[in-house]
Amino acid sequence: MRNVGIIGVGYTPVFVSKRKDVNIPEMISEAVDAAFRNTKLTPDDIDAITFGNMQTFEGVNMPHLWAADHMRALDKPYMRIATGGTTGMSTLHSAYYHVASGLHDVVMAITWEKQSEGDSQVGLSGIVMPEAMVMVQHGMDLFGGKGMGAMGGGSTGAAAYQAMSYLHHSGADPEHIDKMAALERSNAALNPYAHLRKKTTVADIQATPFVSWPLRFGHTCPTSDGATVAIVASEEMVEKLADSVAWINGVGCATSDPATVNFIEGQITDPAEQEPARMASSKAYAMAGIKDPSKEIDMAEMYNGFAHQSLMWLEKLGLCKEGEAHKMLDAGALNIDGELPTNASGGVFSTNAIGASAMNRPTECALQIMRKIEGGHQIPKKIKNAVSHGWGGMFQYVTVTVLGDEPRHGQG
Amino acid sequence: MTFEMGEETREVQGTWDISTYKYLIDGAGMKLLVDSMKEKKIRGIKCPQCETVYVPGPTFCRKCYIDIDEVVEIGETGVVMSYAVEMADVRGNPLEEFRLTAMIKLDGADTWIIGTISGMDWHDARIGMRVKAFWVDEPVGSLADIDRFEAI
Repeated sequence: MRNVGIIGVGYTPVFVSKRKDVNIPEMISEAVDAAFRNTKLTPDDIDAITFGNMQTFEGVNMPHLWAADHMRALDKPYMRIATGGTTGMSTLHSAYYHVASGLHDVVMAITWEKQSEGDSQVGLSGIVMPEAMVMVQHGMDLFGGKGMGAMGGGSTGAAAYQAMSYLHHSGADPEHIDKMAALERSNAALNPYAHLRKKTTVADIQATPFVSWPLRFGHTCPTSDGATVAIVASEEMVEKLADSVAWINGVGCATSDPATVNFIEGQITDPAEQEPARMASSKAYAMAGIKDPSKEIDMAEMYNGFAHQSLMWLEKLGLCKEGEAHKMLDAGALNIDGELPTNASGGVFSTNAIGASAMNRPTECALQIMRKIEGGHQIPKKIKNAVSHGWGGMFQYVTVTVLGDEPRHGQG
Repeated sequence: MTFEMGEETREVQGTWDISTYKYLIDGAGMKLLVDSMKEKKIRGIKCPQCETVYVPGPTFCRKCYIDIDEVVEIGETGVVMSYAVEMADVRGNPLEEFRLTAMIKLDGADTWIIGTISGMDWHDARIGMRVKAFWVDEPVGSLADIDRFEAI
């Protein structure tokens, strides 16, 4: 396989609750234009395009095709990816495969969501509709909270089971979730491409109501409008076209059986076990020649719809031992100037244009490596290796991308 | 880079009519489960190879990828694997009465079901706590035949 690097990133000028001044293709094309501007490339330099967002969230189908001209995709190979919460990173992985395989040299990966135009709860409901229909038809009062099968309050409810299991097994306290939430929101305040940009204290978080114990409103992500584009290139084209690069040194993805709302066929997996995270990250580390991620990884961008997840993923991705993440938080190791800066961007927890959310993790790593961060959240130390992570599906699908300042390879 | 919001575009309301989709509802072990609940029993399916017991049972083992059909009876007691306390509904409106719901592994099963736990202060809930199912007086072969779980 060939070496592949990210040579440029484009964001919409803002990530906010409602972009009422532009429609969907207009909004996405802002990020496409920004990627061209930042790389000084033109559409003629692009060999193929990958495109990702959630199905049905905006009440539209096949947006990649009706927006093809806005994507500068006319006359090019063009593929849509939709893997749920991981869509953004799967779209990047697809672009990586296009180039690593030798079939294409320069590929643009486009990811977005414009949640204000749709209804995310309905979009999520579509995923569990067959399950919900079975339960309702067999006598279950889904939200009434009686007997067997109650759903537990939407996606936050299911995440609450995960959070409780994580707290129990790690020994962390609910206050650690408050603390992680405050850290990430304060990081987001420094990031011009974050949505919720307010310096936040633990007391601010603790003033928000509980949605489903142990999760508060202040532990949950917003719904955002925004788009992110990355351009990836082969080593040869990096030398020709780019003034800076972050290498994609390892990729991995894995699934388990559904770890939430899997009533029809019997759920068998703890939502906090997340074995796919171990499998995907082991594969990506091996590819990137990383033997001990807890020593060799310099920064982490974790996919966290909920604030407890940043801590949980650090353990699942081998960046610390089980039960150690909250101690690293207490010691300041996860701060922007700490030993393992985690979600310096503010994470999904502060900005969630879902289709772009798992893309913003590796693009943040790439810009940190290139030292091209806008705003105040540039990590001061040199980043040799970074790990980014995506999560979604039925709590059971994980993607991992390891990026580096140099091409590095192992046995993977 | 500075950004100024432009004028707002106009928008209209639209809906998707999803009422014509069809969902099959008796798949896998659902019928086995609700039929057994009519007798105040809980039945699942066991894999002969890895001995995993699924409730409700699928038609194949998800670990061995072989077809399975051995019906086994499961206990009505079990252990809380995780729990949550609903304090707001699915749209975020606060609930007047909090609801303690748990992921419960019934004795004899390897899978987890979700159940509502009644009769205790949620502050006292613990992972690892043992619970028992309580049935409605006249079961009809429905998931609602289990009225609630209580700590034992």
